[in-house]
Amino acid sequence: MSSVQVALLLFGVFFAMLLVRVPVAFALGLACVPVFFIDERLTPFLLLNEMLKSYNSFLLLAIPFFLLAANLMNAAGITDKLINLARSTVGHLPGGLGHVNVVVSMLFAGISGSSTAETAGVGGVLIPAMQRQGFDARFTAALTACASVMGVIIPPSILMVVWGGVISVSIGGLFLAGVVPGIMIGLSLMIVVVIYAKRRAYPVHPRATMAEFGRSLLHALLPLATPAIIVGGIVGGFFTPTEASVIAVLYALVLGVAVYRTVPIRSVPKVLYESGRFAAISLFCIGTASAFGWLLAYFRIPQIFVDWVSGWGGGPVSVGFIVAGAFLMAGCFIDAIPAIIILGTILAPLATTVGMHPIHFAIIGVMSIAFGLVTPPYGLCLMIACAIGKVTIRETLKDVLVLLLPMLGVLCFVILFPEAILALPRWIMPAFVK
Amino acid sequence: MISTFISAIYRTLQVLLTALMALLIVPVVLQIFSRFTELIPRYIWTEEVARFCFIWIIMLGSMIAVRDDSHFDLEVLPTPKTPRGRATARLIRHAAMLVVALTFVWFGYDFALFGYQQESELTGLNMLTIHIAWPLAGAVYVIFLGEKMAQDVRVYRGGTDE
Repeated sequence: MSSVQVALLLFGVFFAMLLVRVPVAFALGLACVPVFFIDERLTPFLLLNEMLKSYNSFLLLAIPFFLLAANLMNAAGITDKLINLARSTVGHLPGGLGHVNVVVSMLFAGISGSSTAETAGVGGVLIPAMQRQGFDARFTAALTACASVMGVIIPPSILMVVWGGVISVSIGGLFLAGVVPGIMIGLSLMIVVVIYAKRRAYPVHPRATMAEFGRSLLHALLPLATPAIIVGGIVGGFFTPTEASVIAVLYALVLGVAVYRTVPIRSVPKVLYESGRFAAISLFCIGTASAFGWLLAYFRIPQIFVDWVSGWGGGPVSVGFIVAGAFLMAGCFIDAIPAIIILGTILAPLATTVGMHPIHFAIIGVMSIAFGLVTPPYGLCLMIACAIGKVTIRETLKDVLVLLLPMLGVLCFVILFPEAILALPRWIMPAFVK
Repeated sequence: MISTFISAIYRTLQVLLTALMALLIVPVVLQIFSRFTELIPRYIWTEEVARFCFIWIIMLGSMIAVRDDSHFDLEVLPTPKTPRGRATARLIRHAAMLVVALTFVWFGYDFALFGYQQESELTGLNMLTIHIAWPLAGAVYVIFLGEKMAQDVRVYRGGTDE
């Protein structure tokens, strides 16, 4: 069989299985099975072996810990403290709680590395609050979902950990490179909120006094120290990303159990179980996706793709748009982690060929795949936000599209001006980022 | 009787997953402490123990998610209108998953033997303790999927949902 035929078989079986609602992880494994029988040097034994190899990674251990830290912070009620801080900072702008939603998501993004934990945490509190104040349910759910995309773009980020582990890029460098695009997305969403607020006459909060602001800042100070500990610890070389994620867990435990006393000890096992189960489901996909990616590489499919695209004679900019397009499309249908493994494997050689900086390539990939969290049919954050807001995904689509436009604008900016995102890692970690 | 047994397996998996998550924190904390303080020596086994706990967490979680149907999937086609149609759709999905489960059991046997012949690099643990997770997961998937498929066959025959 030729490589192209193998590629058709792999992707054909995979999509056919998705169509009959076979879970993504199983569909990837199933797609591999027939291919293992067409070459006598291959056996399904390799499927299990590739899975084990992909799980046997100290780096990926950071993922359950980052999830656990985020869930503990949620259980500890730090969201309320962040909301008070955001309200006293931006609550008086037109569209009051809408801005609070965006700003809280930015703050929360600095504390957690997971967008879904963010939608659940921030949305659980703010969606009902916004609806009570007269924001319509569709816009509220759409905004919460879009704002929580920042969770994986602003450091720390679970997706960047996966990317760094699979494609070998400095995670500290990735984290730093995510800061500028993350903040830009936040600001662009706030502009959209202002436009909506003017047209729909959304309510505004009275401006907070300096004393109120000071008080809310003081209350939020302890949780806000988390990003400094995590990102500072990694970038400063004090600990590895995995160790930093455990520090975040311990810090969240201390805050929840001892300082705020909002997390009773007996509820900890439940948080442990929920975080472990969710991490396991996401990570299980890594195994079958790695086997899938391994088969693609074995049949030299990425190389064929590189030759094909190089034939067009594009430079880093056009490759940047190809990368973004591919990840955006994949993000509509599959989970972020398998998308990174499969598309990352295919596209990485292409990015290298045209001389794209690995961090630039990674940030374009992570941003595009993060947008997939709000694009149907498979957009986890949108699903969670809709479930909280009691609206259907179909109803929110128009608002999601409007909110996505400026976010896509930021993505184009990042593709066109790599220097804008590379400046920060180059300045702070010159030894690691050329 | 059978369903009680299957629920007991499910419950055990949940307890194990929770315990391993708690356990997972210990070696990584030891690793940090040993680097920054003089209180404990710099163990080298911590990294490996953490990785092995992690592998088991993933495999246990994958088993649990087969029973509670929480593996990520995609809703592309509309849901069938009749109970019989829905049962058929579920049967197709679960039959496909069963192929993966049986692959894990069948090739997992050799995989486990392959593990039995190796020892881990840092702690000298027999690798069977890790490799066995695959055939075991396969067997547990088969049990959980069997329970679901039996139920759907009943629905298909009777023509109504439970």
